[in-house]
Amino acid sequence: MRNLSIRQNILIAILGIVFSILLVTGIIFYTTFSKRTDTLVESQSREINKQIVLNYESYINSVIETANYIQYASLNLDVNSSAFELQNIYLINSEIKRDVVSIFLFNSQGIQILGDPVSNSRKDGISHESWFTSALAENSIFHFSADNSRSISADSEEQVISVSRAVSYTDTGENKNGVILIELNFRTITDLAEKTNLGPGGHILILDDEDSLIYSSGTYDQIRSRESIQIAVQNYFGGFPAEIDAKVMHMNITPLSQTRWRIVTVNDVDEVAQAKRRMLLTLVLIFIVSGLVASAAAVAISRRISNPMKLLRESMANIEKGDFYSKVSISGQREVVQLASSFNSMIDTIRSLMEKVVEEQRDKRKTELRALQNQINPHFLYNTLDSIVWLAENNRTDDVITTVVALAKFFRISISRGETFIPVSDELSHIRNYLTIQQIRYQEKFSYVFEIDEGIYEYMVMKLILQPLVENAIYHGIGDEQEKITIRGYKENNLLVFEVENTGYGVTEERISEMYKILNGTHEVNSVGIRNVYQRLKLYYGVEGNVIITSKLDEMTNIKLVIPIEIPAELPADLKDNA
Amino acid sequence: MKNQSVLKNITIGFLLLLTFILIATSTGCSNQEKQTALILYNENDPFINTFARQIEELISDIPNCQLETIDSQNSQIIQNEQIEEMAARKRDLLIINPVDRLGSYSIVKKMKDQKIPIIFFNREPLIEDLNIWDKAYYVGARAEQSGQLQAELIMGLFGSDPGQLNQYDRNGDTSIQVVILKGEQGHQDAEIRTAEVVRAFRERGFKLEILITEVANWNQEQAFEKMEHILKTYGSRMEVLLSNNDAMAIGALERMRQEDFFHDTNGNGRIDPLDEDWLPVVGIDGLAEAVKEIESGYLYGTVLNDSLTQAKAIVELSEYILGMRDLDGMNFTIIDNNYIWIDYKVFTLD
Repeated sequence: MRNLSIRQNILIAILGIVFSILLVTGIIFYTTFSKRTDTLVESQSREINKQIVLNYESYINSVIETANYIQYASLNLDVNSSAFELQNIYLINSEIKRDVVSIFLFNSQGIQILGDPVSNSRKDGISHESWFTSALAENSIFHFSADNSRSISADSEEQVISVSRAVSYTDTGENKNGVILIELNFRTITDLAEKTNLGPGGHILILDDEDSLIYSSGTYDQIRSRESIQIAVQNYFGGFPAEIDAKVMHMNITPLSQTRWRIVTVNDVDEVAQAKRRMLLTLVLIFIVSGLVASAAAVAISRRISNPMKLLRESMANIEKGDFYSKVSISGQREVVQLASSFNSMIDTIRSLMEKVVEEQRDKRKTELRALQNQINPHFLYNTLDSIVWLAENNRTDDVITTVVALAKFFRISISRGETFIPVSDELSHIRNYLTIQQIRYQEKFSYVFEIDEGIYEYMVMKLILQPLVENAIYHGIGDEQEKITIRGYKENNLLVFEVENTGYGVTEERISEMYKILNGTHEVNSVGIRNVYQRLKLYYGVEGNVIITSKLDEMTNIKLVIPIEIPAELPADLKDNA
Repeated sequence: MKNQSVLKNITIGFLLLLTFILIATSTGCSNQEKQTALILYNENDPFINTFARQIEELISDIPNCQLETIDSQNSQIIQNEQIEEMAARKRDLLIINPVDRLGSYSIVKKMKDQKIPIIFFNREPLIEDLNIWDKAYYVGARAEQSGQLQAELIMGLFGSDPGQLNQYDRNGDTSIQVVILKGEQGHQDAEIRTAEVVRAFRERGFKLEILITEVANWNQEQAFEKMEHILKTYGSRMEVLLSNNDAMAIGALERMRQEDFFHDTNGNGRIDPLDEDWLPVVGIDGLAEAVKEIESGYLYGTVLNDSLTQAKAIVELSEYILGMRDLDGMNFTIIDNNYIWIDYKVFTLD
């Protein structure tokens, strides 16, 4: 999380929340919906199945009632003495009921006692008919059989369902056992089934207790019914969803009372399944759409929050580069605006602090500079006064006069009404005065010459910058031989160059690098003259000002001063005012 | 990497939430208790009602055994749905009083499939159906025995000698004139009781003249209604009234009292067999009401369908099936792998 941007965080948070809510509600909604529809489908198909079964049961019950009535009649009436009456009951019942094809009573040997005429071809085989044997084998129930599909009646060839049961009848006052047979029109069963609408692939099956198919309804191919028979056989009874022919169906199996048959209804609920699929699709669509909407919203929100931040960050980057005068101006969320204004006031504070520091630094430098300027004077004054005293002692009055006049001029220029910058001409006359004084002091042990371009007299230069170099040349140049000091001044491009060159032994390269070190202040040394010059140069002119030392052994030493023509704008102007 | 772990966290959170929902919605019940269900064909049947209360009471004494009683409202379709539901709820045992005894084969097959033992009672499934599975049992009385006991009761009253009937042979024709009130036509018990009572008389050499066999569908009111005509037609000749059950016998007695049948002729202050116009009426089942009729002298006797003993047998068998009782520890014998037979009992004033 630490490395994510605000935008990513907001995006993840919003999308996480939106998707989890969508997912949970979607799942709950869908499961509730599908549970509901499943229950609805189940109860509906159960209801349909129940209705069908009830139809069949009421039909079966009516058949059994008939059978019971006939059986009851047979028990109370003697087949011998009331034969006519009984025969009438049999015939009337088979006549009245449209679904009853014929009714018979056989004795335990399979010989007909009452009922419709039996066809001659079947007459002798009655005792081997399955309905007859099973009725005798299990005498307490009615046997419904659809195996023997043709009627045994002489009048009919119809497909029938045989309902048989062992009964007792009275024959000449004696109780005897026999078998009653009622043949039902097979069409009745078909008619009952075909009334129901079970959907495009729905159908009804009737299975007997040996799981063989008695009847199947509807228009469907054999494979499907075989498939549904298989499922029905494996499940005995109950209601459950089943997939038949790749379609979602709901199967209900109910045993039909009295008959030992089972009615299997197969409802086509594929439409419901499709509705469910559609619902799922809709939900997924909603999920995607609201996901997209949420993402867009999340992006927009995160942008609204992070964009001002980005702006703020860019403004801050400007300030990082050193621009303390630009302000951050941002409109947008209150927090960000507040942040920006806080930032602005912080920058204001920093700036004023910085300015204060700069000012303090300037003051400090000013003090330093003044101290550097002042440092020159006591040495020289002390020595000059010494030499004036010496001249006076030797009665060299003219020299005293010359020296004192030169000294006076020297100091006037030194002070220069407090100006830091003076014209080159003034600086040069300052050196002349100095040289005059020194020549008298050193009793003309050196000579000097000025080689100055006339065009540079008017340029302004920092005062007292050449004098220490000349002083240095005098000290280091004086030896046994007559020393010559050459002072040059000329313009080179935009620079003023002054050279102070003295003849003499010169200095070694080591000494030169030592001197540079002194200039940079890395070496502590007693003589501070050249270092003062160098440091002042750097203070006023920065990198453009420079001191270059060159030397030829046994020949000369040259110190070159490089100064920009232009008076440095800011700092020296300040100094000019305050000096 | 970080993103993935966020996604992972979200996914895990989701899964936890889903699991929680799933757990919350499913009924997480898994105790050691045995769950059994008692499914009755019709709770409004007084005999079944008494029977059920006896079973409930006995099972409540068994520790760790829950019994749920369900009424099938006389519909096999409803009963099938109930069985389906109980099977789905993984009951350990089903005690079923079937609505349609012929439908039992599919119940047995399905329960065999689901490995849920069943005890049938009161309505006997076909042998072939019960033989489908060795964990399908039937507890009940042999229907034929009730008819035989009924016949014995009457034969005893008539002096036990077919050649020399006593005063109860009112017309002295050495033959017994009977009216039979039959249960539902085609009903196994009705057929068997009717057939057996007649067969028992004849087997012992008693001559029987069946005046009429009237079907009153086990029902007291129907018996009351139908007896009006019967009494009008056969009332003077009737020597014995045999009823397939107590309810019909009581209905008949009501009609007979209304038609001025029973009188305290010997003036001993109560109706008893010594009164001159007293007629033996016998029922089957041993209902509480029938016992009252016996005590007041109108009903000669009844053959007790001993529901208490059957209930005991059912509960012992349940314990055995649920592994709470050894086969040796049972007071009832399982016959032919699937049956426990309980004898009928004769109940008279003596």
